Amino acid sequence: MVDITGQYMLNLLLNGLLIGVIYALMALGLTLIFSVLGIVSFAHGEFYMIGGYVVYFVLQRFTNLHPYFAVLIAGLVTFVIGFIAERLLLQPLAKGEIERPAEYAILITFGLAFFLQFLMIAIVGPFPKKAARFFDLPEISTDILVTTATTLRIFEVPLSGNRLIAAVTAAILISATIFFMAKTWLGRGLQAVSQDRQAAAVVGINPLKMNTLAFSLGTMLAGMSGAVLVAVFSWVPWVGVPASGKSFIVIVLGGMGSMPGAVLGGLILGVVESLGAGLIPDPGRALAYKDAIGLLIFALVLLIKPTGLFGRDL
Amino acid sequence: MKRSPVIWVLIIGGIAITLALPLILRDKQYWLFVATQAYFWAILASSWALLAGYAGQFSFAHIALMAIAAYFSGIVGRDLGWSPLSGIIIGTLVAGLVGLIIGLLCLRLRKTYLALFTIAFAEIVRLAINAELDFTGGPMGLYLEPLIQTTSYVPYYYLILGLLLGSLAFMYALANSRFGLFFRSIREDEEAAAAMGVNVVRYKIMAFVVTAMIAGLAGAVDHHFIGFIAPSELIIGRMSLVIAMAVIGGIESLIGATLGAIFIHFSLEWLQQIPIPAALMPRIVEFKPALENLGFALTERAIQTNAWRMVGFGILLMVTLRFWQNGLIYPIIQRLTRQEAQAETVAKRQPAPVEETAAQERSEE
Repeated sequence: MVDITGQYMLNLLLNGLLIGVIYALMALGLTLIFSVLGIVSFAHGEFYMIGGYVVYFVLQRFTNLHPYFAVLIAGLVTFVIGFIAERLLLQPLAKGEIERPAEYAILITFGLAFFLQFLMIAIVGPFPKKAARFFDLPEISTDILVTTATTLRIFEVPLSGNRLIAAVTAAILISATIFFMAKTWLGRGLQAVSQDRQAAAVVGINPLKMNTLAFSLGTMLAGMSGAVLVAVFSWVPWVGVPASGKSFIVIVLGGMGSMPGAVLGGLILGVVESLGAGLIPDPGRALAYKDAIGLLIFALVLLIKPTGLFGRDL
Repeated sequence: MKRSPVIWVLIIGGIAITLALPLILRDKQYWLFVATQAYFWAILASSWALLAGYAGQFSFAHIALMAIAAYFSGIVGRDLGWSPLSGIIIGTLVAGLVGLIIGLLCLRLRKTYLALFTIAFAEIVRLAINAELDFTGGPMGLYLEPLIQTTSYVPYYYLILGLLLGSLAFMYALANSRFGLFFRSIREDEEAAAAMGVNVVRYKIMAFVVTAMIAGLAGAVDHHFIGFIAPSELIIGRMSLVIAMAVIGGIESLIGATLGAIFIHFSLEWLQQIPIPAALMPRIVEFKPALENLGFALTERAIQTNAWRMVGFGILLMVTLRFWQNGLIYPIIQRLTRQEAQAETVAKRQPAPVEETAAQERSEE
């Protein structure tokens, strides 16, 4: 039995927020795909998994490379794979060549997930891999903040340096995505298509190209969230399965297709999971049911308010 | 409907071979075991095809329901001393009950949401089984009493074959009755079906309960045969396999899904170790390091494909979905069975301008 003190709660809260930022980044990609293509990609977790492996192998091969370059390479690789997948498998859907679009979208992305997962098992094998720490924290020592190379204590609350680095990186990427969506021509084009395909086409935006862009960007965001996490968790080819589960929860909670919803939903899920797991008295059960808490939220949202926090009407 | 003689030859030949298989495979007990498991997968794939292909409910909880029945049966056997038979019955009923609950909860959910919800449900079941060590044995698994006291595979072979044929006959009758039409009308357009007077709620739930019970029954019986179940059987990859079987066989056909499952299960087993003629072996050994780098393994007389066989089926699944949405096996069956009927209808039908304009409209969209 753990003592439930204010400090313990703060610890849970902060750890939840750190992981929540990553959930948010990943869900941002999924929600972008949904808002433009109108489908949920069941292969989202597999791109996350590939992103992590790219960073692992790049850093293993080029040991002197700055880890952020590896993250960018992971983003590029997952962007290209997403691009190819969209062109080959999802473009016919957008062109209306498929008889049962909703079923096709579910099954084809599921098939893609199946393929990518076993492809990685075949290539890298089933044994767990873990990348080295991206970089050391600077050593600071003040009254409220003490850091060493691997940990950080703020108000006496210890946090893992690895997770902090991952969360900060993810926050930077989220900001970049929001900036891209709000300020650039392409980002606005994506928003336009997500609001009204025909109206967007009238003003000269090609919805088909925007579909490809949205899917590739979405998979890139998934890849990059895997990329920042590969130094935190050990990596196996099926690591994407729970991860895609989390992003489903987040986008349903936040409202399918809503970007602020994805960010807020990610943070909420991170905190609720962390608090929920921390407050279950039996630590063995807590670890096992940590994922079930999120799934329970998910089921409740689907049943009570399927549009989520910021969702449009179905 | 007239059937061409070819199909009767195939049906009778197929039944004769399946019945005589234990004799044919007398010296290859392992392959008899594989055949038994192929029938088990065929029950899962065909009942999933009824739920997804006929009724349009893309549930990903099928494997979880199967496992719930098996676990339930095992647990009442271990803790309450129930016989395997009564365990199987109670397990099947529990699976049906859980199917009922899923059906009730999912009434409001459409396609994608239903898929998401059932994936979440299956994961919760897996996590709970993993966590509740006292009941389920956790990751270490649960041992089940054998249903038949025998060391031979033959009784189980006929039992599971009988189960497959029985459930197929039942589902076939269901699919070709009014219920089958109601299922299909719900799949095509729920509102329209409701407007036409189909009790959508009742038939949706019925589809869930019936398929859950069939999956549960198969799961409980098969695991009393294997004697062991572990939560690793509930991973999403196994569900993907059921889906791949149904899709490649033909998602809108019970017999297509059945044959798809049997075909895939046998291919996967065979591809695990592809035997290589002795004459070719020296040539392949030259590439040994390259092959091993890629994840293949070489033995004395065979090449092991490990995960690559699944990669192949992943590609096959995507290609099938993309180009042959009716599956690969179902169209063949259709050709064999409907040739004459088709010829008749085509002869009766006058050139239909209505269809042309409809097609044009579609292409203009």
